[in-house]
Amino acid sequence: MFLAFKELKHAKLRYAMMTAIIVLIAWLVFILSGLGNGLSTLSAATLKNINAEYVVYEETAGATFAKSILSEDIMEDLKKQKDIEDVAAFGASTISVGKTTSKDADDKEDVALIGLEPDAFVMPTVIEGEKLSLSNKKGVVINDTLKKAGYKIGDKLHVSNSNLKVEVIGFVKGETFNHLPAMFAVPETWRSYQYAAPGSDNGLKKPVQAFFLKAPNLEPEKLDKSIDDIETVTKSKAVNGMPGYTAENGTIMMMLAFCIVISAFIIAVFFYVITMQKTQQFGVMKAIGASNGFIARAIVAQVAILSVVGILIGILLTYATALVFPEGMPFNLDPVLVTTYAIVLLIIALLSSIISVRQIVKIDPLTALGRVE
Amino acid sequence: MALLSLQNISKSYTEGSTTVQALKQASLEVAAGELVAIIGPSGSGKSTLLSIAGALLQPTEGTVTINGQDLGNLSPKKLASFRLHELGFILQTSNLIPYLNVLDQLLLVKKMDSRVTKADKAHAKQLLTELGLSDKFKKMPNELSGGERQRVAIARAFMNNSTVILADEPTASLDSKRAFEVVQLLAKEAKERQKAAIMVTHDERMLPLCDHVYRMEDGVLTKEA
Ligand SMILES: Nc1ncnc2c1ncn2[C@@H]1O[C@H](COP(=O)(O)OP(=O)(O)O)[C@@H](O)[C@H]1O
Ligand SMILES: [Mg+2]
Repeated sequence: MFLAFKELKHAKLRYAMMTAIIVLIAWLVFILSGLGNGLSTLSAATLKNINAEYVVYEETAGATFAKSILSEDIMEDLKKQKDIEDVAAFGASTISVGKTTSKDADDKEDVALIGLEPDAFVMPTVIEGEKLSLSNKKGVVINDTLKKAGYKIGDKLHVSNSNLKVEVIGFVKGETFNHLPAMFAVPETWRSYQYAAPGSDNGLKKPVQAFFLKAPNLEPEKLDKSIDDIETVTKSKAVNGMPGYTAENGTIMMMLAFCIVISAFIIAVFFYVITMQKTQQFGVMKAIGASNGFIARAIVAQVAILSVVGILIGILLTYATALVFPEGMPFNLDPVLVTTYAIVLLIIALLSSIISVRQIVKIDPLTALGRVE
Repeated sequence: MALLSLQNISKSYTEGSTTVQALKQASLEVAAGELVAIIGPSGSGKSTLLSIAGALLQPTEGTVTINGQDLGNLSPKKLASFRLHELGFILQTSNLIPYLNVLDQLLLVKKMDSRVTKADKAHAKQLLTELGLSDKFKKMPNELSGGERQRVAIARAFMNNSTVILADEPTASLDSKRAFEVVQLLAKEAKERQKAAIMVTHDERMLPLCDHVYRMEDGVLTKEA
């Protein structure tokens, strides 16, 4: 620490530039992680919020809601299974709604219409207004972000390309699905939109897309065998099956990985070059009696100091940028994620100093006694 | 008894197919309080001898004994610690750490070992004062003259109370007046602190300050005075 600090103070500009690079990389990593988190929230918040362990799809649907169609009759069979505590039927469609019948896109909002029984265990809490009820089938509860579009309780909404009309009776919070604000309705209302075309229900009675299971001890393979034509997957697999979710996440993860690899390279090369420049100096120290460990500790300490400072500034900048991002931007900083990436960056930085440490071990103290050639 | 003893040291360097016999059966003894000079033309093997005495290089033949310890019996890891505790080096030039002030240069030697105590600080200040650097404690190497820098290097070599002090052309970069001063201080410190000191030099004018003079010629060491 002694050597590390003294040298940092001596060569301020050099190390300030290095810190600046770490700051920029850390900044980028944190922004990306916030963006990734924000996007995946948009994509599947409703699904993530749901307190269920498993999702049952039609066997051929490949764990995507839109491709799956099941009869609600299966619900009774599911409820009979001893490992299953609760079951909720689920269906979702993307629709456009507007307060008028105007065809102008500005007057309409895209929402995810989600059909759920009012008393389903996965039904989110209504923060304002009334809950869904079977006695008012046209009533819907919508995500509170739609307030910005001017929607309020009592509004009658027209659903585009359909003669369906709904009425806002309440609001929920933080519910988005397929990047869209959620609109919850009773299954019958949802069905009247989704299966409006004759024959689109495959002739099934009371069709739904999937069932959520509250079943912590379930063995999904056994369930799939005991009921025909179903596939049971974990909730996280269902989240990954959301359209675009894997692709989006994959892209962000790839960028993050690149950033981290690049930072490892930059730090490794910078300290390697600096170590090479100081070969003579380290030779002198070794001749005087410094052990490899003594010199290596100084370098590792420097990397640690620069990285910690750089990462901390990066975090501050990230939170500062978050303040100026436009409101609708899918940016969601998760402190757990930020901490994780901070630690990953720090570990990578420390690992990349190994190259320099290996170089130090190679330095022969004899180089100190410069031969007069 | 001699603090440093080199017995029949030979050293050959092999580079490809050619072998250079840098040292041939060199023997040398330095007692406590003595400053010994080794003089000779460039390429005659002086630095090689000093490196061997300083545990930086293994001799091809012969034994090195410092303070009763045969260096041949020490592992490489032990050698670094041995250098730290028993040997002080004064090198030609630029051997100060550029980002440490004068006092820290000396304290660094202590840091390599353990913690710096109050006594260490006092010891460092006393050494620097003896070498006429009492007003330079906080100066950085680039703020010092060449002579001052070499005096700091001398102080550093004595910092760990080493048994043996090795100086490889410590005056190479100094004018003769400064060089004379520096060697004088080296001789004085060796005497007062009862250390064994060896100095390699080109400069004949320094010889009167030394207790014994050896001449190196083509790897052969002969005692002159
Ligand atoms: N590492 C080495 N490899 C090969 N030859 C060396 C090496 N070091 C020194 N020599 C050779 O050994 C001889 C003595 O060198 P050195 O001890 O440096 O002489 P001096 O210090 O008296 O100028 C020279 O011929 C030199 O070329
Ligand atoms: Mg030499």
